[in-house]
Amino acid sequence: MRTPIDRRPPYWTIALSVFVTLAALIFHATPARITGGPDLMPLLPLMSIFLWASLRPRFMPPIAIFAIGVAQDVLTGGPMGVWALAYLTAMAILRDRKEDSPVREVLPLWLRFSGVLAISVVVAWVVGSLAVGALAPVRSLLIEAVSTALMFPLVAMLVLRGRAPRTGIL
Amino acid sequence: MRFSRTLSALLFLASIGLIVFDRPDVRPQVFSVFRATVVDLASPMLALAGDPLRRIRNVGPYFRNQAALADENARLRQELNEARYWRDLAFRLRDQVEVYEEALNLDAPVARERVGAWVIADPQGPFVRSRLIGAGENRGVQAGHPVLNVYGLVGRVVETGRRSSRVLLLTDLNSRVPVMADRSNARAVLAGDNTPFPVMEYIGREADLIDGDRIVTSGDDGVLPRGLPVGQAIRDRHGRWRVQLFSDLAPVDFVWVFPYERVPPPEQDRDALTFEPLRLESPAPVVQAEPAPQPQSVVEEDEEES
Repeated sequence: MRTPIDRRPPYWTIALSVFVTLAALIFHATPARITGGPDLMPLLPLMSIFLWASLRPRFMPPIAIFAIGVAQDVLTGGPMGVWALAYLTAMAILRDRKEDSPVREVLPLWLRFSGVLAISVVVAWVVGSLAVGALAPVRSLLIEAVSTALMFPLVAMLVLRGRAPRTGIL
Repeated sequence: MRFSRTLSALLFLASIGLIVFDRPDVRPQVFSVFRATVVDLASPMLALAGDPLRRIRNVGPYFRNQAALADENARLRQELNEARYWRDLAFRLRDQVEVYEEALNLDAPVARERVGAWVIADPQGPFVRSRLIGAGENRGVQAGHPVLNVYGLVGRVVETGRRSSRVLLLTDLNSRVPVMADRSNARAVLAGDNTPFPVMEYIGREADLIDGDRIVTSGDDGVLPRGLPVGQAIRDRHGRWRVQLFSDLAPVDFVWVFPYERVPPPEQDRDALTFEPLRLESPAPVVQAEPAPQPQSVVEEDEEES
């Protein structure tokens, strides 16, 4: 049974979700290209934001999304506010759907994530191009988006598997 | 779960405000400090996250290149022999230059120690091509300093924190570097366009350039020193001159920052150029001119006569 203490604002869990997403951001910024590997790095911060917001919406408030977006802008060296605005827009559209219970299956999650990803990338490209004063290259953004969409089911499966209720005798 | 719409609207407005005011040309000091602080805070974690990658970076090439090792060894020996000749030549020329400088009483700027640093982050954003390096103001790195890897110029420092700095790559859209051909001294401005091969602009119609010309910095703007290796001139399919960067010959993982004192433009020395009014110790005698005789009008003379 839910007790009043459960309804308190979960500050430490919000901090945990932000920390996990920032860790994803740090990993996103690691110098992967020094290994001579391909120039592919999925948008891990968006995956983390989406999964937290879909499965535990309380733990990913807009202020946290804003902070993560600004951190990404600063670490990538771009103008501050671009990714923050892109993430806020995409997640606002996602949350405006007024659904009763969060989706817990991979395929519907993947479809929704693809929509969120598309909105984020388009907003980031338009706003970023305006901020920089020139058209940003589409190719690298597309590669990033496709690699993110392809990698998402794997991450989603791992997360949903970790959250599945334990069944059976043991 | 619903969140406050007012807060969301405020955050949207804050994002738009940041985008408007956080442009490189009009960026307030407080934003620069904030950015440098965030990067400084993240730099230990970035270094930690990149360390395993750095350790395994040679695993792939090791297995790939086993067959080519003998050929590479022979080629490197040949290059070493050539390099010995060039080293001896460099030493001789350095001695000559020192003698000339002494003879001419030139006050050449003293070259300071270069600063070695690892690249701690390779943030892949579509808007800015930059790298974060693990050296900042604590090691004397300042904005504007050129950054090189083993083969050539990588870019220049644009932001410095206490322990980290951001390097704007030559390929970035905002990068402009005056360069010249080593062979003919034909001048150009190397402009990044977010492609791997930055374009050479302002080269004139009859520029003395040929494919393969070695391109170095010209030092014309006083921001970068003259003679830093940049790349090779190549023509693209549209006939434009581009540069294949030397720095792309190897992954940009370890770099050197060259502390170079920028040559101040004349406007900054304006105070030093103001002249005191000239004062003579013994003032020259001033010749007092006698007043010219006043012409008497004819009317006055007529009145006296009458």
